[in-house]
Amino acid sequence: MARINRPVSRRQAWWLLATALAAGLPLTPQLPLWLSLAAAAAFCWRAALTLRQWRLPPRWLMFVLVIAGTAGVFLQYRTIFGRTPGISLLVVFLALKLLELRAARDAMATALLCYFLVLGQFLFTQTIPTALLACLTVLITTANLLAASDDRPNPLQQLRRAGLMLAQALPFMLLLFVLFPRIQGPLWGIPQDRFAAVSGLSDTMSPGSIAQLSQSDAIAFRVQFKGTVPQQSQLYWRGPVMPAFDGRSWRVAQTLGAYPEVPYRGLGTLVDYEVTLEPHGKFWLFALELPATLPPDSALTSDYQPIAREAVRNRLRYNQRAWPEAIAGVDEAPGALRDALALPKQGNPRIRAISAGWQARHGNDGAAILAAAEALFSQQLLIYTLNPPLLGADMVDEFLFDSRRGFCEHFATAFVFALRAAGVPARVVAGYQGGEVNPVDGYLVVRQYDAHAWAEAWIAGRGWVRIDPTAISAPSRINNNLANAVPSGEELPFLARGDLAWLRELRYRLDAVTNGWNQWVLGYNPQRQRDLLASLGLNEPDWRSMTAVLSVLCGMVMLGLTAWILRNRLRVDPSLAAWRRFTARLAKRGVAWQTWEGPLAFAERAAKQMPVHAEAIAEIASLYARLRYAPGPRASEFEQLKAKIAAFKP
Amino acid sequence: MRLPELDAILADINRIILGKERPIRLSLACLLARGHLLIEDLPGVGKTTLAHVLARVLGLDFQRIQFTSDMLPADILGVSIFDRDSGSFHFHPGPIFTQVVLADEINRATPKAQSALLEAMEERQVTAEGKTRALPEPFFVIATQNPTHQIGTFPLPESQLDRFLLKIELGYPDPAAERELLAGADRRQMVASLSPRIAPQRLIELQDSVRAVHASPALIDYVQALAAHTRTAPRWQAGLSPRACLALLAVARAWALLDGRDHVLPEDVQAVLPGVIAHRLRPTDDTLRTNVESVAAALIEAVPLP
Amino acid sequence: MSRISDWAMLGATSSQALNMLASLRRRLREIFVRWALRVRPPEAAPIILTQRRVYVLPTRAGLAYGMALLIILLGAMNYNLSLGHALVFLLAGLGIVAILHTFRNLVLVSIRPGRCEPVFAGGEAQFDLVLENQRPDPRTSLRLFFEDDVPVEVDIGRRAATVATLTVPAARRGWLAMPRVTIETTWPLGLIRAWSYAVPDLNCLVYPEPAAKAPPLPWSGDSARGSTRDGRGVDDFSGLRNHQVADPPRHVAWKAVARQQDGPLLTKLFSGASAQQLWLDWNSLPEALDVERRLSILARWMLDADAAGLAWGLHLPGVRLPPDSGPAQLSSGLRALALHDHGTH
Repeated sequence: MARINRPVSRRQAWWLLATALAAGLPLTPQLPLWLSLAAAAAFCWRAALTLRQWRLPPRWLMFVLVIAGTAGVFLQYRTIFGRTPGISLLVVFLALKLLELRAARDAMATALLCYFLVLGQFLFTQTIPTALLACLTVLITTANLLAASDDRPNPLQQLRRAGLMLAQALPFMLLLFVLFPRIQGPLWGIPQDRFAAVSGLSDTMSPGSIAQLSQSDAIAFRVQFKGTVPQQSQLYWRGPVMPAFDGRSWRVAQTLGAYPEVPYRGLGTLVDYEVTLEPHGKFWLFALELPATLPPDSALTSDYQPIAREAVRNRLRYNQRAWPEAIAGVDEAPGALRDALALPKQGNPRIRAISAGWQARHGNDGAAILAAAEALFSQQLLIYTLNPPLLGADMVDEFLFDSRRGFCEHFATAFVFALRAAGVPARVVAGYQGGEVNPVDGYLVVRQYDAHAWAEAWIAGRGWVRIDPTAISAPSRINNNLANAVPSGEELPFLARGDLAWLRELRYRLDAVTNGWNQWVLGYNPQRQRDLLASLGLNEPDWRSMTAVLSVLCGMVMLGLTAWILRNRLRVDPSLAAWRRFTARLAKRGVAWQTWEGPLAFAERAAKQMPVHAEAIAEIASLYARLRYAPGPRASEFEQLKAKIAAFKP
Repeated sequence: MRLPELDAILADINRIILGKERPIRLSLACLLARGHLLIEDLPGVGKTTLAHVLARVLGLDFQRIQFTSDMLPADILGVSIFDRDSGSFHFHPGPIFTQVVLADEINRATPKAQSALLEAMEERQVTAEGKTRALPEPFFVIATQNPTHQIGTFPLPESQLDRFLLKIELGYPDPAAERELLAGADRRQMVASLSPRIAPQRLIELQDSVRAVHASPALIDYVQALAAHTRTAPRWQAGLSPRACLALLAVARAWALLDGRDHVLPEDVQAVLPGVIAHRLRPTDDTLRTNVESVAAALIEAVPLP
Repeated sequence: MSRISDWAMLGATSSQALNMLASLRRRLREIFVRWALRVRPPEAAPIILTQRRVYVLPTRAGLAYGMALLIILLGAMNYNLSLGHALVFLLAGLGIVAILHTFRNLVLVSIRPGRCEPVFAGGEAQFDLVLENQRPDPRTSLRLFFEDDVPVEVDIGRRAATVATLTVPAARRGWLAMPRVTIETTWPLGLIRAWSYAVPDLNCLVYPEPAAKAPPLPWSGDSARGSTRDGRGVDDFSGLRNHQVADPPRHVAWKAVARQQDGPLLTKLFSGASAQQLWLDWNSLPEALDVERRLSILARWMLDADAAGLAWGLHLPGVRLPPDSGPAQLSSGLRALALHDHGTH
């Protein structure tokens, strides 16, 4: 192998700078400001080096800079491992590599660094725009590799060639993407900061926590129903159940038993659907009440909350069934019932007094007390609002009797408080309510602003019963959506506003595209791969058969590409082709045409050797000579030549 | 489109110079292609006769210049002499002012005299005493040179040789032809008895029609391939120049016309190739230098038709 | 102290091991080349680099690329990054496409031996190779080199030919056969290397190195009477040439000069029995000198005589070159010297 390590030319240096920019720019929002500025400075220095033909910085300086960069990253994050520190380090190396471009090898190293940075970008976001940006980066990086081999073509030509090569690589990518045996990660640890900023329900609920969520357009999950979409008022997506109350916030139970399967039987027809859950970093899986089956790798807590074995860190897809009606918890454990009655010792005297009155009147008749509570709520003319006033220590009393304005968590808190005070076991259930069907792809989209809290009461003989106190005061919240429920003039999340039809239409379309992307590209996991292969007739494929199929298909693509790449675009003069056929026929009879021999000279020689055919040979040769060497188009003569050669049987 | 007049001309010449069909045809092709001919051969093989016959059959004026070592350019081009009667210089044109010139033993003259002739050949005009005089049309030079290197001769430099379109050898006649020559009538008388076959004007027309002979792209590819091969193959010291390629194509056109075709075939190129490369291409292997035919054959066989 | 010597020992053994490794590599390569070439060199022209004789392997950069892809794949698997998978697969596809492009860049190039001018021993023999591309698109960055030598990089245009000139030091007179040439390319991405070997039938004639110091030209014959220093006679008039300062005034052709106005002076040239012959004779050199030394001196004489424009003849055992001048004579003479005692002429 010839070892050539040519110095980097100016053009190549520009290409490297462009590549580094393409890989580094999309990462700037993730990087600390000082690092972005330092990288920009290094890029400018590189540009100056190239422009002014300055000498490269000395090695000791590079060494110092590497140390300084690493130290800076360490000081920033107190570690150099993990997602952001790791990528910051890569950016440091990339920026410094640009300053010591000495040979073609450095160009290669830069290109590889850039590929790593593209992967790093995916750690943060994998949306369609990111993918498009990554395509651009890969295109530029590939053009950079081309320029490292041959820097003479202009940038447009380089990009075109890079594009062509990437286009040729696409079939391989598709095949590998679909057929390469997928393994569910992680293979080793996940950096702790991976899900720092995901929004969603938390395991505690205090006044205002859901109202805060209601400002967010972010998607919580998507649902595809197998049959018809149930009514809006049926769409209670059960989330964390919170029995513990400290007077201000609710929290989930500290310890819970778990059922490996559903411990109750439902009534009515099953609702069949598939959930695509956005990662939220918690364990719970949202399910339509009440879950009839469990997703794989999950269990049902004793308060009927499906939880996953591992926190949901990746977009998760699972099939679910639900009973719209079910009798659950008739034989509820006494411990659980006790927990569902616990109240702080003091506070909220007014509601306690009213509840005590109900208890005195109805005794143990939970249903009657429930009805009384509902009646109280409707009497009070409570107002559902996104901007409830701040409440003091006796928040239930203040809400019910003074401000009478609140969001769903106020309603649920007050309602459960009232029931508990009257001796009826009750608890708060957090989750989502409703959702919006995207007419483009038929998916029901549940966003963060659909977050909701409702109440569950235990009635002897009937088990746990759902009551939504919000629905008593603001039925439109449940039957329609947030926008209809809150008084007009309140600030709603952008997407929850319904006044711009075209905007809504556009949103639906974008959403459908994003959903398709999530379902088929980002959500292409081992399960989906198995399903797809099964639908293609490849049942229960192991990695061996998959590799075999993959190799065969890749081989076919490669053959096709080879044929295309090695295609011979030499166009042979048709008369020459006919002449070659003729001479080949003669060669079989021992009269070989020498490639340098003129047609008439050959005819003369051949005629001498085969006097029987002398006339035919002479005719063919003179026809061919005229066709190939005489002026003007001679279509009729070409036909004649073809006919004569066809008829020629030596 | 066979031209009977050309056949008749060839027949006439062949009747006088026996057994030399190929060189004669080549000479005529050279003339038709408006080129000049260099004949390298021993004395007495009929060089002078060939020139004479050609001039005669074509109805052209003929002059012979015997080159010697003390010859001066003026001896060829002409000289201005002071005329006492008119009191002015009067130009006496040299022997070059004729249609067919036989420059005999050109390598005997000094380079100065040689280049006077060669420049006139190239430019088809003579510049003497600041005045340019056109040479007659058609104008055809047949130069002869002695093959053996003798002391006191001035072999033409390669750059000058290129001015000749073709270089041929006549060679000894074969025994049958020689016998007929010996038994037959006096050649001089036969030449004198010849009458022109065509008018000079017709010859110019014929020369024009040579230029119109079609060379197809495939054929031009072939000429290029031949040239490219000579330029890169180790067998030759220096390749054919573009001018040599033009010469090759020009003679091949004339050869095609003599064959009665309006287009050039590779056979034409191959037929005239030895004459075109003889004075232009030097083989690296000195032993091959003398045999032009085998050099040309090697070249032809090395280059496939495109 | 003993520590240091241990290190030194280790260094020595490791450098030994490296040497062994290098020699092993060389030997393996030799075996591979012998198998690869199969036909016994030299090969008949044109040498066409068919599919069967073009080999493809990743370069170091290609291996690094592969490693990087593996790391990206592991990362994508670990974090369940679908786009990470897509990136790896796209880049893997690019690697496969690069194999095809690189292979295509080299395959079906045809190589013909080109010119090869004779050189003097001690100089550099230049071998021209004509690389031809029948395809209607160009080939880029083909590198040709002799083993362990600096490569020559050439491009070939669409349906065109390029001449690549490779040099080898010419040590000894005689025929120098062109060594095996490797032709390789890593275009377009530098990840893949396609290469092939060829042994074109091309030989360079190496003349003996002209001696730096040599005796003066060996004039022979009678130099007493009326001869000039340049070996021309004075008896028979044989021609004219332009007057040169060194010509004797009595040889000026006054008559001829008078006939033309403003012409330069002309000198009459004579030849004759007394014209001195310059014979470069092997036997005139002392026996004590070894063969190569004698040939060197003869070469120097030839060059000097040619530079002076003299006619000279050559006597070698078994070779006699009649006196003549000019480049043809010089090349014949030097050729005879180069091939002296080599059997082939």
